[in-house]
Amino acid sequence: MIFVQVIVGGLLLGAIYALFSSGLTLIWGMMNFINFAHGEFVMLGMYAALLVVTWLTGSPIVFGMAAALALFVLGVAIYFLLIRYVVRGPMLSQILSTFGLALLLRYTAFYVFSANFVSLPQTSLAGTLNLAGVYLPIAQLVAGAVAITLTIALHLLLTRTTVGSRLLAVAEDRSAAMLMGIRPDRMQALAWGLSAGAAGVAGALMATAYPWSPSVGETFGLIAFVTVALGGFGSVLGSLYAGLIIGLIQAASAFWLGAIYKDIVVYGLFVALLWLRPQGLMGKA
Amino acid sequence: MKRFPSPWIGLFLLAAGLLLFPIIFSGPFYRDIGVTFLLAAISASAWNIVGGYAGQVSVGHSMFFGLGAYTPLLFYTLWGWPPIAGIPVGIVLSVVLSVVIGLPTFRLSGHYFSMATIAVAELIRIYFGTWTLVGAAIGLQGPARGRGWWDLTFRSELPYYYMFLGVLALVLYITFAVERRRFGFYLRAIKASERAARSLGVQVRQTKLQAFALSAAFTSTAGSLYAAKTGFIDPDSGFGILVSVQMVIIAALGGAGTLFGPLVGALILIPLQSAVNTKFGGGGSGLTFIVYGGIIVLIARFEPGGLYELWQRLAPRLWKSAHAA
Amino acid sequence: MKRISLLVAGLALAAALCAAQAARAADPVKVGILWPLTGNAAAAGQASKAAIEVALDIINNAHPELGNLPLAATAGLPNLGGAKLEVVFVDHEGNPSTAQQLATRLITQDKVNVLMGAYQSSCSFTATAVAERYGVPFMVGESSALNITSRGFKWTFRATPIATDYARTYMRFFADMKREGKKIDSIAIVNENTDYGTSVGDAIVAEAKKANLPVAIRIPYSASSTDVSAEVLQLKQKQPDVVIFISYTADAILYMKTIKNLDYKAPMIIGDDTGFSDPSFIPAVADIAQGVMNRSAWDIGKPGSTTYKINEMYKAKTGRDLDDTSARNMQSFFALADAINRAGSTDAEKIRDALTKTDLKPDQIMMGYQGVKFDETGQNILASTYLIQLSGKKYDLVWPDTAANGKLQWPMGSGAH
Repeated sequence: MIFVQVIVGGLLLGAIYALFSSGLTLIWGMMNFINFAHGEFVMLGMYAALLVVTWLTGSPIVFGMAAALALFVLGVAIYFLLIRYVVRGPMLSQILSTFGLALLLRYTAFYVFSANFVSLPQTSLAGTLNLAGVYLPIAQLVAGAVAITLTIALHLLLTRTTVGSRLLAVAEDRSAAMLMGIRPDRMQALAWGLSAGAAGVAGALMATAYPWSPSVGETFGLIAFVTVALGGFGSVLGSLYAGLIIGLIQAASAFWLGAIYKDIVVYGLFVALLWLRPQGLMGKA
Repeated sequence: MKRFPSPWIGLFLLAAGLLLFPIIFSGPFYRDIGVTFLLAAISASAWNIVGGYAGQVSVGHSMFFGLGAYTPLLFYTLWGWPPIAGIPVGIVLSVVLSVVIGLPTFRLSGHYFSMATIAVAELIRIYFGTWTLVGAAIGLQGPARGRGWWDLTFRSELPYYYMFLGVLALVLYITFAVERRRFGFYLRAIKASERAARSLGVQVRQTKLQAFALSAAFTSTAGSLYAAKTGFIDPDSGFGILVSVQMVIIAALGGAGTLFGPLVGALILIPLQSAVNTKFGGGGSGLTFIVYGGIIVLIARFEPGGLYELWQRLAPRLWKSAHAA
Repeated sequence: MKRISLLVAGLALAAALCAAQAARAADPVKVGILWPLTGNAAAAGQASKAAIEVALDIINNAHPELGNLPLAATAGLPNLGGAKLEVVFVDHEGNPSTAQQLATRLITQDKVNVLMGAYQSSCSFTATAVAERYGVPFMVGESSALNITSRGFKWTFRATPIATDYARTYMRFFADMKREGKKIDSIAIVNENTDYGTSVGDAIVAEAKKANLPVAIRIPYSASSTDVSAEVLQLKQKQPDVVIFISYTADAILYMKTIKNLDYKAPMIIGDDTGFSDPSFIPAVADIAQGVMNRSAWDIGKPGSTTYKINEMYKAKTGRDLDDTSARNMQSFFALADAINRAGSTDAEKIRDALTKTDLKPDQIMMGYQGVKFDETGQNILASTYLIQLSGKKYDLVWPDTAANGKLQWPMGSGAH
């Protein structure tokens, strides 16, 4: 029974990992660019949720969408103001740009929201289900379900819609896409918006169940990297499977090895992955 | 038209300035800033070898810094040995680590390599936090009072200052020597295009490993010096990500891949950090890091070559306009 | 005529001399305080800063309503001609090297007379070493690492209890409970894994061994964990009779919620202050954490008492109740000020001497200690702590019996609430 509980817990959290990693993998696949500030997008999504709940309404749908929208706009803005210029530049400036961005976002959040840990006041998602001895907190259950749905939705957006195929075209071959009349700039901006938006929603979903402070972005960022590495750079479906697997591995190692070892296992896995199979489960090499 | 002044004059002025600084600014606080500056310059210059010249952006260099910082204090704590004995051991361990990490990860390009280095450094940091032998989360302390010069525990900042200055001169000299030799050309070729370099016969993998090892050795030394001066180390101050990030930022600000870039970066950033903390800290608003982040974004966006490149572009124009007509 | 003008001149001269004397004596005494005002521990640093500002008000202005609290009734430090205390706050950002540099700055540039700080043990280690070098008294508030006061330093003092004190308090409490027939066959320790959690966890393990109390499981974890279900499931498996949590705020709240979600019914949960005493803990989890115990050396007390009034002053300033950590820092500050006053001078040796002779009685302090008296390592040997229990929306003092104002419920949640 405890065994099942561990697995279920891991999968629910893993679903959220999948959601916020899907954005990172999209950017990566499209532009061969790593966003070291990705974890901060998740963190900002959590604060967006907090602001909505404090000033408007506690409805999860509203604050979820608000987080998605706010972060989408931020993602697009960041693309046009910064990323567009550094993406063709030297590796150092690419890495520096998003690192600097991460610091800027994180410490601005510290300045505005203070260092105190906060959590959402009880929303309509309170309570726990008990299914044959396995406890399913409703907030986490809903968060997990929504996360999986949105990740699949993103995957479908990319593979089944015109917009999606345009995005993938730019990822595949930028010049060819331009020749076909697709504007890479716009597509990349859109990708950034989607990436940030997905991270924002993931943050809002996590906010329903977990407390946070401006410093949580760092851990989420690293988890996103691991998930993307496992799932394959560029594959949203890959990050779905990978997120679930990472969540599972984390929960299992925390339970059987000890809580402090769970991160060691995850990072160790990461390094092993980069070494043995850099393209991950489903990525292009 | 007058000739552009010889760079030797600039070098002489710099050396004189660095040598005389603690004599002119004899207050312990200013000397402490000087020591902190030197340490940052050493670390950033060490990183520069592999990150600036060879273009392999490691954001996990704290793994070497931490090893170099822990070994002297560990030997002192376990066996009462003078910390100075730990310095060469730290260097050896760091070099070994650099090869162990480098072999698999140098196969990866660009971003992947950076991420791998972050992950390894984090892994080591977390592990040290659980390892009782090295003090776990509490960390290790150095001698409270020096039993002799080999304990590297001095009451005044002056010995530290000149010791660090010596090490900085060494790192810069070696970087200079590397710059002029074939090895340096190989590094730059690899940075420009690995494929092209390989096609020209450069042993890319070997060269990268050598640069990484050299860089690791000096970074480890910087870590040991830090431990000697602060008298304390714990997983965060040794292996934390901000340690790695600071090295990268300082080198990039001044100009990564240039000899004096890291030094210039440190010269600006370290006093700036102190000044911002003095002015705004205590008010507790975290402005220091917002400023930090902002500066980095601006460098990345507008002047990736750092201040050095900016100076290269502006100096001839300034010189010309100053001597026009 | 001449005699009168001579007299007037003489009086004028005397007045001028007195004024000069008073002006000199009233030079403020400077205290340098190093805290994390930004970074992860900023919340604690800021809360303590506000507490010190209240303390400054109490010392520098006359507050006769605060009873025997030293220096409250008078304005300024009486033995130094009414000189005021002035604090220079610096932010070490949680970085031990910065703490070292700032301590140097405070001593050599700002010329402070005494130092206090630094919250994180790593920063206290380096800052106290600087103070030792320059011969400046350093009052450590809130750093839990044991060996801060065991390095043979003369200038370091710590007025707060340390990990071994807490561990022994818990063991004494368990002994009392066992005598009353409660079942305590094994305990579990869940500690966050930085210096705070590790120090206290280690101390409890050591004391439990001495008391022959088996530790069913020890779970170190990272305070910034998102999810702690695995840890709670481990507890569910081991079924200890008491679980002691050594946590910061977010993780304390997370544990309470996860315990509720996974329906883990622990007979007794004890939180080791810090997270459990944070002002945001009760509002977040009061409904689900009824009966959780906590330790605190600070109790607000009944309306009209000195502690109540102090809390009101703090609340007026920050909108929140004074928390244990900030209260302990405040108490350390009072002890420091009292020593400076008894020294009657800003001379470092005299202040140090006065500190070693400190002997504050229970009615002179705001905390529940048995007093403030430093041993030769600089540690307060009379520091002690109460145990409190969450009942409704506040903590009741339930142990020791002599100070209790509420009835202890064991197991948790078994009482009328």
